[in-house]
Amino acid sequence: MRHGICVAALLLAPFAGVAQQPDRGREAFQKVCGACHSVETATAEHRTRAQWQESITSMIGRGAKGTDEEFSLILDYLTLNYGPVAGRGAAPPRPTAAGGRGRGAAFSPGPADKQVIDTAAADRGRRVYAAECITCHGTHARGGEKGADLVRSEVVLHDRYGSTIGPFLKAGHPTQTTPAAKLTEQQIVDLSNTLHQEVYNTLRAALQIQNVLTGDPKAGEAYFNGAGKCATCHSPTGDLAHIAARMDPAAIQQRFLFPGGQGGRGGRGGRGGGAAAKPVTVTVTPASGAPITGALLHLDDFNVALRDGAGEYRSFTRTPGLQVVKHDPAEAHHELLDQYTDKNIHDIVAYLETLK
Amino acid sequence: MKAPVILLLATAALVAQSGLNNATLGAPPTDSWPTYNGDYSGRRYSPLTKINQSNVNSLSLAWVYRAAGQPGGGFGGRISATPVQVGGILYFTMPDNAWAVDARTGREVWHYSWTSHGGDHIGNRGVGVYGNWLYFETPDCNLVSLNLKDGKERWHKPICDLDQYYFGSMAPLVVKNHIITGVSGDDLDRPGYIESHDPETGELQWRWYTVPQKKGDPGAESWPSIEAAQHGGGMTWLTPTYDPELNMIYVPTGNPQPVIAGKARPGANLYTASIVALNPDTGKMQWAFQCSPHDTHDWDATQTPVVFDGAINGQPRKLVAQASRNGYFFVLDRATGKNISSSEFIKLNWSKGVDKNGSPIPNPAKEPQLDGALVTPNQGGAANWPPPTYNPDTGLFYVSASRAFSVWYIYDPSDKPEGWGGNDRGGWGESMIQAIDYKTGKIKWTHKWEDGGRSGLLSTAGKLLFAGDGSGNLVALDPANGNPLWHANLGGSVSNGPITYELDGTQYLVVAAGDTLYGFAMWR
Repeated sequence: MRHGICVAALLLAPFAGVAQQPDRGREAFQKVCGACHSVETATAEHRTRAQWQESITSMIGRGAKGTDEEFSLILDYLTLNYGPVAGRGAAPPRPTAAGGRGRGAAFSPGPADKQVIDTAAADRGRRVYAAECITCHGTHARGGEKGADLVRSEVVLHDRYGSTIGPFLKAGHPTQTTPAAKLTEQQIVDLSNTLHQEVYNTLRAALQIQNVLTGDPKAGEAYFNGAGKCATCHSPTGDLAHIAARMDPAAIQQRFLFPGGQGGRGGRGGRGGGAAAKPVTVTVTPASGAPITGALLHLDDFNVALRDGAGEYRSFTRTPGLQVVKHDPAEAHHELLDQYTDKNIHDIVAYLETLK
Repeated sequence: MKAPVILLLATAALVAQSGLNNATLGAPPTDSWPTYNGDYSGRRYSPLTKINQSNVNSLSLAWVYRAAGQPGGGFGGRISATPVQVGGILYFTMPDNAWAVDARTGREVWHYSWTSHGGDHIGNRGVGVYGNWLYFETPDCNLVSLNLKDGKERWHKPICDLDQYYFGSMAPLVVKNHIITGVSGDDLDRPGYIESHDPETGELQWRWYTVPQKKGDPGAESWPSIEAAQHGGGMTWLTPTYDPELNMIYVPTGNPQPVIAGKARPGANLYTASIVALNPDTGKMQWAFQCSPHDTHDWDATQTPVVFDGAINGQPRKLVAQASRNGYFFVLDRATGKNISSSEFIKLNWSKGVDKNGSPIPNPAKEPQLDGALVTPNQGGAANWPPPTYNPDTGLFYVSASRAFSVWYIYDPSDKPEGWGGNDRGGWGESMIQAIDYKTGKIKWTHKWEDGGRSGLLSTAGKLLFAGDGSGNLVALDPANGNPLWHANLGGSVSNGPITYELDGTQYLVVAAGDTLYGFAMWR
């Protein structure tokens, strides 16, 4: 499913072969993300483009405010500057130096001097692990009846490149079948990399959605045309034609549940892939004067701003005489959140997946 | 080091000066804001009335203090600390940093910077003050004591192990001669605990684990094994509240570990996601109430347990109430922990009602699933850490609330998922202030924000409720009905809980947005 996430990433932002605009990207990052995160905190871990996309999507769900362009710039900026480090998969943090003025890469969860995985060493260590440890400590070092959970072991968590694992093994532990003193220094370092990798694999960003394709396509089709009233606005031969060729099932599921991202926000249309989420519009009617309709740019208790059909920015103070009516094209989707069963959801995904 | 007698005098002087009377609740100080919540109760209600409904439109910006990290630049990040104000000086933090700022003018008195060795820098809730000393936690697991006068470090003591991915973020609570510290962190499967330290030396006085550490410990029956319990999470992110008469602190505890994928920890998982009463002198548990049995949605219960006295069915009662992250509003008898009422303050879809103790019964079908389960609230929760307020004039409990949906997935289908074997994704939601009648659990009024927003709250006897919306507005609302009365756009969302105090006859209102502190004053 990892591939599917990349597809989802494409939906939100133009693919970044684009010329990089680091200044604008950093600006956008600070504007949109800076309200809650410092650059250093948010970027303490290196991630792939797909993982950054997931972070951004998740933040939009939590209320991050920005335009399509800003989110696109942020994705480019993060991917370029905080992309994956060669030879490393998801999650493990990049090498860091402790101390200093105290800001910078040090500030992901955990110690600043945490072990950086050498994946080649971890692969070698896996052979040592299979020979020496796996019988008691389990495939993923999470322990069993005969051996302790090494992912949760303080000896492992305090270890750096064999610093505590080495002495522990040399002293011999109760169930050791092969005297560990026979392990070379290199084997201990390799084993240390393997064990830290198993620890990192339990962190937040390490895993992905497994399989959402569990529903009944026939029931999904019936819901689409019936209770869900999806057919009121959508058509399998129109806007949704070949949807499954453009989006993977996990992306489809997210997309029809939450088409507009954060509720109450306008202007985040045009994501590509399936039918673009239409922008939220607003109609403002002054006490005397004609109604003005446009794309909603801002709305709070005190002010409203829109871009009208002529492209003009219009701003109003919300006085008692001013009528403000918001039109969210995704309103029906928001209302469905209270009506879907999980079975409905899985059936719809299964049905849409038939639209190759 | 001062002689003990002098220290006692100094402490007494501070208590007198700050107006914080340890012996009584319900008499919060007006010339200071001497604790995270202003007083021990967590009500965040001020009896001051110089700023009130009739004149709030004349509220003036008195000063702005941008917490600068380097010359010429802002610090970045956000102030989520509630400032403590003692002796006319405001003390507040961001991760690794503490500041002293003149409460009348916003001028910097000192700035202290800690050299970090790591840890999650997501936020820092502020300081505790005892005598002439200030205490705060660092992300790399230290309790630091500074001299109030000049910000010089007196000592620092470890309070957790960074290698286990713990970190410090809570504002320490000062009760008698106890500096009470909590720990944060929900990355690895570690046990939560809360500690008390000697104010002079920092030495450990007691530690209480939120989850059982050995066979026979209370709550052990709610875990499949001691190994699971010992790694069962329950972090102590938030400053407890305190009732001096009952001599109990009310500790809200965090979510169980592993967080989302709970397959290998069947059971209620006590005392995670709970409100626990402890004796502050011994750390002994007095009672516990679980807000989210067997949580699988990261819904910690680390929202302020607010202490107040009220009437239930005409009978005077000592209460503690919490608007919890899972969407339930709980009212408990704070002497016994017995549940008085459990009500939904936001519409939910994960619960099958409440059990005989008043704890919710989670619907197993709404636990995270391989193919996803649509659940409301989302991971951010119906409420989160931003402090609520209880206003005795209206009898209403106000909370920044969110109704949000997301899809919850199991990523790790193995028999022993650890850490984060799943997560939620996506979402749609709306934000609001909910005014809850504690007597009935019913919503008296709702004020929706058009554009998100989740700030700390403050209410005053001036018939005002202060909050932040999602558009950068600091808003004063009518606590009777939620109507907005006044606002000022700060250019960034309110990031902490607003406070108020009176100095030299002028009432101030201080609030943070991003890395900047704003001081408003009523000059008239």
